[in-house]
Amino acid sequence: MSDKVYILGGAQTDFERNWTKEGKNMIALLREAVADGFAASDFSCEELQRLNANNRVAAFVGNFMAERYIDQGHLGAFLTEVHPAFNGVPSARYEAACASGSVALEAAMSHILAGMYDVCIVAGWEIMKSVDNRMCAGILGRAAYYEKEAKDLDHPFPQLFGRLAQATIEKYGLDRDRYLDNLARISTLNYDNAKRNPLAQTRKWFMSYEEASARGSESNPCIGGLLGVSDCSQVTDGAAVVLLCSEKYIRERGLSGKPVVKGYGHRNAPLLFDKKIAMSGSGHILPWTRQTCLDAYARAQLSVGDIDVFETHDCFTSSEYMALSAFGITEPGREYEAVENGLIALNGAKPVNPSGGLIGCGHPVGASGVRMFLDLYKQVSGQAGTYQVVGARNAMMLNIGGTATTNYVFIVGQA
Amino acid sequence: MEKGLRIETVTVVGANGTMGANVAGIFASFGRAKVYMVSRTKEKSRLAAERSAQSVRAHSIMTNLVPVDYDSLEQCVAESDLVFESTAENLELKIQMTERIGKSLRPDAIACTGSSGLSITRLAACLPEEKRGHYFGVHMFNPPYQLTLCELTATRYSDKETYIALKNYLSSVLHRTVAESKDSPAFLGNRIGFCFMNEALQYAQRYADNGGIDYIDAILGPFTGRAMPPILTSNFVGLDVHKAIVDNLYANTDDFARDKFVLPRFVSDLISHKRLGLKSGEGFYKLLRNEAGAKRLLVYDIKTGIYRDVINYSFPFAIRMKKYLKEGEYGNAVKSLIDNHSQEADICLGFLLRYIVYALYTAEHVGYNLEVADDVMATGYSWCPPFALMDAFAGVTDLASLLKSRLDDAFLSHADIDHIVSEYRNSKYDYRPFFKAKD
Repeated sequence: MSDKVYILGGAQTDFERNWTKEGKNMIALLREAVADGFAASDFSCEELQRLNANNRVAAFVGNFMAERYIDQGHLGAFLTEVHPAFNGVPSARYEAACASGSVALEAAMSHILAGMYDVCIVAGWEIMKSVDNRMCAGILGRAAYYEKEAKDLDHPFPQLFGRLAQATIEKYGLDRDRYLDNLARISTLNYDNAKRNPLAQTRKWFMSYEEASARGSESNPCIGGLLGVSDCSQVTDGAAVVLLCSEKYIRERGLSGKPVVKGYGHRNAPLLFDKKIAMSGSGHILPWTRQTCLDAYARAQLSVGDIDVFETHDCFTSSEYMALSAFGITEPGREYEAVENGLIALNGAKPVNPSGGLIGCGHPVGASGVRMFLDLYKQVSGQAGTYQVVGARNAMMLNIGGTATTNYVFIVGQA
Repeated sequence: MEKGLRIETVTVVGANGTMGANVAGIFASFGRAKVYMVSRTKEKSRLAAERSAQSVRAHSIMTNLVPVDYDSLEQCVAESDLVFESTAENLELKIQMTERIGKSLRPDAIACTGSSGLSITRLAACLPEEKRGHYFGVHMFNPPYQLTLCELTATRYSDKETYIALKNYLSSVLHRTVAESKDSPAFLGNRIGFCFMNEALQYAQRYADNGGIDYIDAILGPFTGRAMPPILTSNFVGLDVHKAIVDNLYANTDDFARDKFVLPRFVSDLISHKRLGLKSGEGFYKLLRNEAGAKRLLVYDIKTGIYRDVINYSFPFAIRMKKYLKEGEYGNAVKSLIDNHSQEADICLGFLLRYIVYALYTAEHVGYNLEVADDVMATGYSWCPPFALMDAFAGVTDLASLLKSRLDDAFLSHADIDHIVSEYRNSKYDYRPFFKAKD
């Protein structure tokens, strides 16, 4: 048994890259992510073999839908193709739509806490540019109840999160223009932050408040009811790898200063969007998402005041807006305050998505949970470089699958 | 103390050209500036403004773009904080235009030329003496939204403080990768890039019996660290533009690589027949489409002078490299190039090694540091830059002995390999994305 789960390090690939255009396959993607993740964690294939000789290491692979994107299943087995040091290492694939990375992380954590393994390698990845946009949107529709919610729609998820936007306006009696203005600001903020992130998909792209506000134009068409393209994260390819370990392993290697996982939360809300919204009572629009945050705070014995930086699942601007109150940064219904007064900006008191988030950094779905977790690690260990939040000690993330059906929260901090 | 530039109003002269429209888009978007777009007619400027907005994928910048014609030039220039001249690459024309701009340029404003290779000092001299300090070369690459390189050139008249302020503006506001270049023919990127591309054409001529153009492009394809093979790139740039650049370099440089800028005869012939490349429908290549829209790529056969189907070459070294690259085995891919001694692998390796040497030589003489060679080739050409290429080689072999054993004696007599190896440092660019598992 280990009392704590430590983070050794990790790496992500450059989310700007299109691996299909490069002519490279999932092995190439994983090979780079694993090599970089090991190097950043001061870990090696020799060390992997040493630990594996005593069955002390395992691998956890997060991926949503390789079966459809690249015609491949049995994804846990593929690490052996990356390097022969993975031969014999227990490894399996975990899936929970866009929260696939988080379910792999949680599985890795629980194996360490149970004392089953001392080092767990978590790899989240997705190759999505292998198909055209329309087909990709259809594949993503499988994260909802496909037959009931997605089958006949062109871009099911933008539409579902467009409905979240509409429901938010109605629930809190918000001024529609002001709310949409808030979403434009959220989009702009994520694009701006991504400019600082050397691995962000959109780091060279242009986005401005004016462009994000001009929904319905030629370059920013409406795609999901109230939402424009500027409100959506974009499809991309990528992988992220992190290495978790037990207290025993930390002592064995004589390591110090490694951050720990302080708290987690995992709740599943009703699958159907309508059922989910029907549950929203007087407070939060997505109560199970809020509950997941509360669970993590309780386990970490921390409150929102203790968190220095957040990474949230801005698959759409409407989900980031919702997350602000789920985290407790504002009261539900008053999220606009945090957007309008600069609280969530990189230099604000509660920075959200310094990495650029899903909108700015990119959203290779199976990688996103691990990428966010990696960013928490980078922030609390002072390794976030140009997008470092100065003095960050505790960091928190929300990663959702489907329409916030699967909810995952992690809090990472200095031990 | 560096002062921040306030660039609120910009005039782009020659705004209906490809670069003019694209550069206007950059100023209007990232720069948030009001941009007067000047071309022969208002209508041409208006159409160019639409292309500007498309180039940065943001229709909202249309409100920042003001299409005008040359009748309003003086008025626009007088109002502008920065004037960007982007007229045709012709010295006489540019001299005339710069003199005209100089008359109404505000003394505190900046004037730039987008020239890809003319003397910036000569053009600066066209301005009234008191305004020459604010004149610079600002050379961007096409398309600038994708290729962030911007070569910045000062002259002996330049005001240092303004130069530094402009450099900061270009990098932090316009998000350009600024490469500081001396006022030397074709500056950095094109000198390195066109040395490679023109030598590829020379080799196409030499190996005309093996197929020529498509033979050399198959040897130097994307699997060798670039987005597009070199002669196909030249076809995209335009044969006339290619000729202008290499002629300028041949006439105005005198180093060991000078002969690599001699334009092969067949290229001049193609140009005289108006076969200028992609823009005129045919050049080194010719793309046909049938009624169903299916594409068929033809190539100019140097030997016979006719366009024929591109040959689907399959060289064993290239097959192996692509197989390894597909699965991300970069070390093995590079090894399969080095360990193969076929004619094609030797040609390929020779090109890559000479490129490293010449890129660093150029950076040393035309730039202010060696790393600038990496910036220009990575962000202006999307080619694996020299230090990153050295990283790839150094991972599997000893660099010095590779260079000494595989470069020919004539080249080695001019190149100081030990010096180059001693200056080698890890690149800030990752070589992996540049090597594509593709033809």
